[in-house]
Amino acid sequence: MTLSASERERYQRHLTLVEIGAAGQEKLKAARVLVVGAGGLGSPAALYLAAAGCGTLGLLDCDRVELSNLQRQVLFDSSAIARSKAEAGRERLASLNPEIRVVAHALELKAANVRAVFKDYDLVLDGTDRLATRYLVNDACVILGLPLVSAAIHRFEGQVMTYVPGQGPCYRCVFPQAPEGGVANCAQAGVLGVLPGVLGTLQATEAIKLITGVGDPLTGRLLTYDALEMRFHEFRVARRPDCAVCGTAPTITEPRDPAAPPATAGVRRLTAAALSELLHDAGGKAPLLVDVREVAEYAAGHLEGSVNIPLGQLPQRIAELAPDAAPVFICRSGGRSLAACQVALAAQIASPANLEGGLLAWSAAMDPTLRVL
Amino acid sequence: MSCTVRIASPLRSYTAGAAMLAARGSTLAEVLANLEQRCPGIRFRMIDEHNRIRPHMRLFVNAGEARELSATVRDGDTVHVICALSGG
Repeated sequence: MTLSASERERYQRHLTLVEIGAAGQEKLKAARVLVVGAGGLGSPAALYLAAAGCGTLGLLDCDRVELSNLQRQVLFDSSAIARSKAEAGRERLASLNPEIRVVAHALELKAANVRAVFKDYDLVLDGTDRLATRYLVNDACVILGLPLVSAAIHRFEGQVMTYVPGQGPCYRCVFPQAPEGGVANCAQAGVLGVLPGVLGTLQATEAIKLITGVGDPLTGRLLTYDALEMRFHEFRVARRPDCAVCGTAPTITEPRDPAAPPATAGVRRLTAAALSELLHDAGGKAPLLVDVREVAEYAAGHLEGSVNIPLGQLPQRIAELAPDAAPVFICRSGGRSLAACQVALAAQIASPANLEGGLLAWSAAMDPTLRVL
Repeated sequence: MSCTVRIASPLRSYTAGAAMLAARGSTLAEVLANLEQRCPGIRFRMIDEHNRIRPHMRLFVNAGEARELSATVRDGDTVHVICALSGG
């Protein structure tokens, strides 16, 4: 794949680098890279890959540009508000470098479409803000044999790692499973605008190195960055032989959507607003509120009138609940309380209820002064 | 034995925002027990009811991963608590 005269001029600084040169630039021109998530990470990653001459660049995102995105998502300007991120991003990248082909994928990545999307690419960058999608992307890359550069951010901190098939651990080796209650994303926890600029640029750097074959990729190493301390840390991470997707006897052999939540038959589902209504309408007969968090979590802050029975003690203390008590189980984010509902049902306690989203949801919707550890 | 524990960003609500804390202990279990005394509730976010490191958490002593709570911690070591992040 030879370079035109205008390309030779555009990429002259790369051509000067003996490590890249014309051969490396031609590899970049032939490369097909997919950026999953056109957000804080995907913006700088895609901009630098486009500028670097990555020949085919896919941009996948199902969201639209919002004003609050512009604090960090430098792929967009104010005129892009309300537009599809994938489409607006494609225009920006094509304008930056008309020599490359940019493909917009304005869709939500699912197990059902991930093969069809990934088949046209040789390398994937993950900058999504959903943990479930991170596992889907990782699993698909392992199964399809695609290298993956994965990064994530939270407030002032970020992490990045590279997976190369057959050469080291995958994302699931490092973090085998997502937490039941999820992890706060940027909208919930806040994020320093420039932070994804650092991590997304590292992702683009890794991509360029993998494509051109120069340097040492970040395989088997988890790199973390703390913007407040202005420190990077590097941790050695090993492939897990028992990894569910890249291990010696994988149980995940096809990309799959996140597992459905545990069966909830017989469990009443209460939103924070519904519980508030229940408490106010109850008159003299307030529902029994059972907080199943650990003692220290309960001590830090809890709903008035609730009793504390940590989930680990519930099977032994279930007799404290009357069979017709119709208890409302409460925890931090809704995972442990749902498990408590199952314990109650197994003990013939009728109609247990689960506070969905837990006290985090209650705090967000009803009482921001409630301290939730 | 005295070590430093570096806390992942999502757990700093337990440490009044502090990123680094001094702790005592010659094993990871002892260090986390010591940490729990000053930051009640933080251990349960890392370790489950069966004393296993939660699958979205990783603990490192200096740069090496510790997969068991019996891992040795020496004077001057840094224990890093790393958590899967989801922001993008």
